[in-house]
Amino acid sequence: MNISYNWLKKYVALPSSVTASEVAEKLKMSTVEVEGIMETGQALENVVVGQVVSAEKHPNADKLKVCSVNLGNENVQIVCGGTNVSAGMLVAVAKVGAKVKWHGEGELVELAPAKIRGVESFGMICGADEIGLTERFPKRSDKEIIDLKMDSRFRGNDTVGQPLAQVLGLNDAIFEIDNKSLSNRPDLWGHYGLAREVAVLTNHAIEPYKTKKIPQGSGVDLSVTVKNKIACPKYMAVAMTGVAVGPSPAWLKEKLAAVAVRAINNIVDATNFVMLDLGQPLHAFDRKIIGDTIIVRKATAGERMTTLDEKERKLSEDMLVIAAAPPAGGKAVAIAGVMGGLNSGISDTTTDIIIEAANFEAASIRQTSTRLGLRSDSSVRFEKSLDHNLCSLALERIVMLVQELCPTAKVASKVVEVGRPTLFTGPLTIPISFFEQKIGVAIPVKTISNILSRLGFGVKEKKEKILVTIPTWRATKDISRAEDVVEEVVRIYGYEKITATLPTFPIDPPLKNGLLTLIRKVQDISAKQLAYTEVYNYSFVSVAQIIKLGDDIHKYLELDNPISKEKPYIRRNLLPNLLENAVAAIANREELKIFEIGSVFAADKSGPRVEHNSDELLPRQDTWFTALYVNKKDASPFREARRAVEMIFNSLNLTWEIAPVDKVQPWEHPTRLALVLCGGKVAGVVFELHPRVATAFGLSERMGACSINLSLLTEMMAGLPSRTSHQNRPLYPEVIRDVAFLVKKEVTHGEIIALLQKSDPLLKEVELFDVFEGKGVGEDKKSLAYHLTYGSSDRTLTSSEVDTAENHIIKLLQEKCGAEMRK
Amino acid sequence: MDKDLENLKKQALSAVQAARSVAQLDELENKWFGRAHGELTQLMKGLKDLSPEERKTAGEELNHLKVALSEAVAEKRGVLEGSAWAVAAETERVDITQPALPKKSVGHLHPNTLVQRDLEDLFTSMGFMVLDGPELESDYYNFTALNIPENHPARDMQDTFYVKGHKNWVMRTHTSPMQVRAMQKFGAPLRLVVPGKCFRNEATDVRHEHTFYQLEGLVVDTHITLSHLKGVLEAVARHLYGPATKVRVRPKFYPFVEPGINGEVTCFLCSGKGCRVCKCSGWLEIFGAGLVHPHVLKEGGIDPAQYQGFAFGLGVTRLVMLKYGIDDIRLLESGDMSFLEQF
Repeated sequence: MNISYNWLKKYVALPSSVTASEVAEKLKMSTVEVEGIMETGQALENVVVGQVVSAEKHPNADKLKVCSVNLGNENVQIVCGGTNVSAGMLVAVAKVGAKVKWHGEGELVELAPAKIRGVESFGMICGADEIGLTERFPKRSDKEIIDLKMDSRFRGNDTVGQPLAQVLGLNDAIFEIDNKSLSNRPDLWGHYGLAREVAVLTNHAIEPYKTKKIPQGSGVDLSVTVKNKIACPKYMAVAMTGVAVGPSPAWLKEKLAAVAVRAINNIVDATNFVMLDLGQPLHAFDRKIIGDTIIVRKATAGERMTTLDEKERKLSEDMLVIAAAPPAGGKAVAIAGVMGGLNSGISDTTTDIIIEAANFEAASIRQTSTRLGLRSDSSVRFEKSLDHNLCSLALERIVMLVQELCPTAKVASKVVEVGRPTLFTGPLTIPISFFEQKIGVAIPVKTISNILSRLGFGVKEKKEKILVTIPTWRATKDISRAEDVVEEVVRIYGYEKITATLPTFPIDPPLKNGLLTLIRKVQDISAKQLAYTEVYNYSFVSVAQIIKLGDDIHKYLELDNPISKEKPYIRRNLLPNLLENAVAAIANREELKIFEIGSVFAADKSGPRVEHNSDELLPRQDTWFTALYVNKKDASPFREARRAVEMIFNSLNLTWEIAPVDKVQPWEHPTRLALVLCGGKVAGVVFELHPRVATAFGLSERMGACSINLSLLTEMMAGLPSRTSHQNRPLYPEVIRDVAFLVKKEVTHGEIIALLQKSDPLLKEVELFDVFEGKGVGEDKKSLAYHLTYGSSDRTLTSSEVDTAENHIIKLLQEKCGAEMRK
Repeated sequence: MDKDLENLKKQALSAVQAARSVAQLDELENKWFGRAHGELTQLMKGLKDLSPEERKTAGEELNHLKVALSEAVAEKRGVLEGSAWAVAAETERVDITQPALPKKSVGHLHPNTLVQRDLEDLFTSMGFMVLDGPELESDYYNFTALNIPENHPARDMQDTFYVKGHKNWVMRTHTSPMQVRAMQKFGAPLRLVVPGKCFRNEATDVRHEHTFYQLEGLVVDTHITLSHLKGVLEAVARHLYGPATKVRVRPKFYPFVEPGINGEVTCFLCSGKGCRVCKCSGWLEIFGAGLVHPHVLKEGGIDPAQYQGFAFGLGVTRLVMLKYGIDDIRLLESGDMSFLEQF
């Protein structure tokens, strides 16, 4: 919202020593967010009013004129290309040193004396676009300069030599206030309310808001029926006749222009002015169109109405409308508090008006405007919960203003007032100790009372308590309890005066978070031991990604209002976005190792409760770890992916094993796929990406992947023994002997381990150290080599004992696995 | 001392000094101390022919000579060996500027992880629990329980992603829902932080993201005040930006706190003078905070008459951008390896 500093100063007599930026700073520290200050005259520095004394043809150019221009205390020579320049004209002269936008385009340029086609020129006679005045002086043709006499303030010649900004009243500072910072302050949506705040902050008095009682009019029998008192607690209206619609006077146009509101006509401008002044939205109807009976009701199902912005709106039964009485069609003529109808508003031919000053319930307005996607200056104010007492004040003010703008206008009805709502204004009884109890610093009770009274609260001290009455403009929502009053005191007292202290607590160590601890370990193992790089991705995926993955789209949750129509689904798996990362990254590298840890969302499984004691459950949202490995030279990346799992589970000190998979997911390579079991339960999966899926994603390399459900693993780890016990060094020396043999390819390492583990009591350890397939071992064969460790806990083994054991083992391998021993 | 011995000593010592190599020293040693024919060995052997008195004096003299020669040899040996090593070492000189090869690949943690961990560790050291919570939340925990009823204008402050077919499910817009979940689970007193991913439905550009990370803090006890809130914010600010960092507090409206404030810290780059990073204000907005609203305590099952507390939120994403001078927020979720490998 834009706030004009000059407008504020009408209500607070600030001395000239106080600057706009000081006031803005105070507002920032105690009240609202002032995002910027725009000095309106700044662009017109060194631009003055000049009178063209003579305009002669340029000796060397047909389209230029050499002008002598009177700047009050001097005459200067300026070369001008304006098609309309002529002697006697009042023009805007940018003197040497002024900054202008050359031909209305590009950056600002500082003017210097120049020679144009051989003739000296000291400054520039400006077109409207060159000094940002196109709103005030619309151009009729391209090469035209401003003819200041179009504005009545320049009719006489007494302005010659004066700074243009001053004559135009552009000596204002506009505060740009962040609307969000005003969401709890309905009272600050107009200049008067903000002035009240400024008065407190600068310790000045606020001018009372002066209005006159509306005289009783006659001739029009205005009646209002409010069918829904909850949505419309108060409705006031008055009729005026003899209105002449026309342009607003310059002062009003300037006021509106200062805060960037477009001037339309005197009546509409008057309603806008009062809204900007008091914060109370008003609406003016053409009486000849809507008649003298107003009905405030809910819309009927399927009812339609075209709003001022020329859009047809489909209304629903929970929307409040203003309707004319049945003789005039009974149709809706405005969406209450949101926007008026196109055909019931003020037109050039309007002579009789009905002015509405009403109070609408905040939630209903917000709901309507959200549903219609229609936000207006009116709806943003009503949805903050306005003080209903503003209605009569605003109505009085606008009647005065309409009569000032068109003296022929007369009040033609009595003032209709429906609804007399009440507000809780206290008093709140607050123990004086309560302030220190909340703030942590004692503020003298005198200071507290003083701050509150200046803010408009009623304050009475009573023993150890104060009784606080809330002013109506703060009572609609913002302030209803003692805590709210504390805030008022502390923000005016000054947060900077509150000393910072640290609270004291018993030194109980905080509860450990198992999941976050596990996440941290897995991150460290992946990045530091395995050299994987951590990636963060969005939680959203596209239809195309799901299809490419071969997954079932119906299992996915979908956003109702996604940012990009492209990715509306909520991920069930970290894989698809990681895959896209990999495809993008592998192009310019040999090898890629990435991982992500994050939540995935399973619509078909139940998670946390929706409310404390509710049976409704949110979807399950486990945290998963997924790592991808691609190497352009590795056509079997399964093993490297398995290494990641080995490293992670070993580093976590967990006992784990690998197991075959029953149910293959569409993105998994069916014969390069394994489950990771921990304590007999599935904790993760290692796989190669199905080549079909890789191709679909545009990946020409093989990819290894592993995934671990960290939420599940956290739960499992609570019940799993971790391998922490220590084993004594063997008392007697152990003997290590190697065996190497050929077996058929389908014989697994796991089978061999299982066989050897129970083969001989002297065999202590079996470790695979080499696998070879290919040249020299036969098509269907592979060579395996193991270190075998023999030992005993009660004696040193003799070499013949080891020989016996070894022969036994070899025999077993030959018989059970068809091994051919290699020497 | 015997004149012959005196001479022998002189000659021997100068021979030691003259030796040029360890081998020459070995030769000299053999010449004097050799078991069979060593000169001194011979003299020692001759002692037995002397009278007991003569034997005593001569024995002592011989011993002194032996010790003196041994020491001289050992010293010379040290010098000769040292210079031999020095010569040998010179031939083994390495290029200390050459990096270890082949290059060993290393992994990288995401910058958000690094900053989040730093904060988690800080708060853990101050006795705070670190909690995690659902990213897909109920409307109740995300809004209603936090004193933001339906059709409240404060809902505008947080453009929300809703889930199709589930009117009351949202992608959480902040980490604050965990305030009430934690109150319900643990009761009072409470000291916790919640780091996590949050979502807002806004168009993405250099400075805006629909996905970002926050860290929520909550302290509830019988005596917790605004002054304590300021103290904790200061402790965090100083941890992040050094002991000279100042905190400035301004009012800001959040429905779930009363009073509500935002906390700014002196810009770490310009120390408050004004620069590009702080948009010439000298201050960086880091925290949203306030005293927990009594309605929120009530929703959490905590009696507001007995307990009070403060809550604060930190934009972790913003801290990451400030810390590493990241201008484009979209880099964080881009999966761009050239970006990620810098951390």
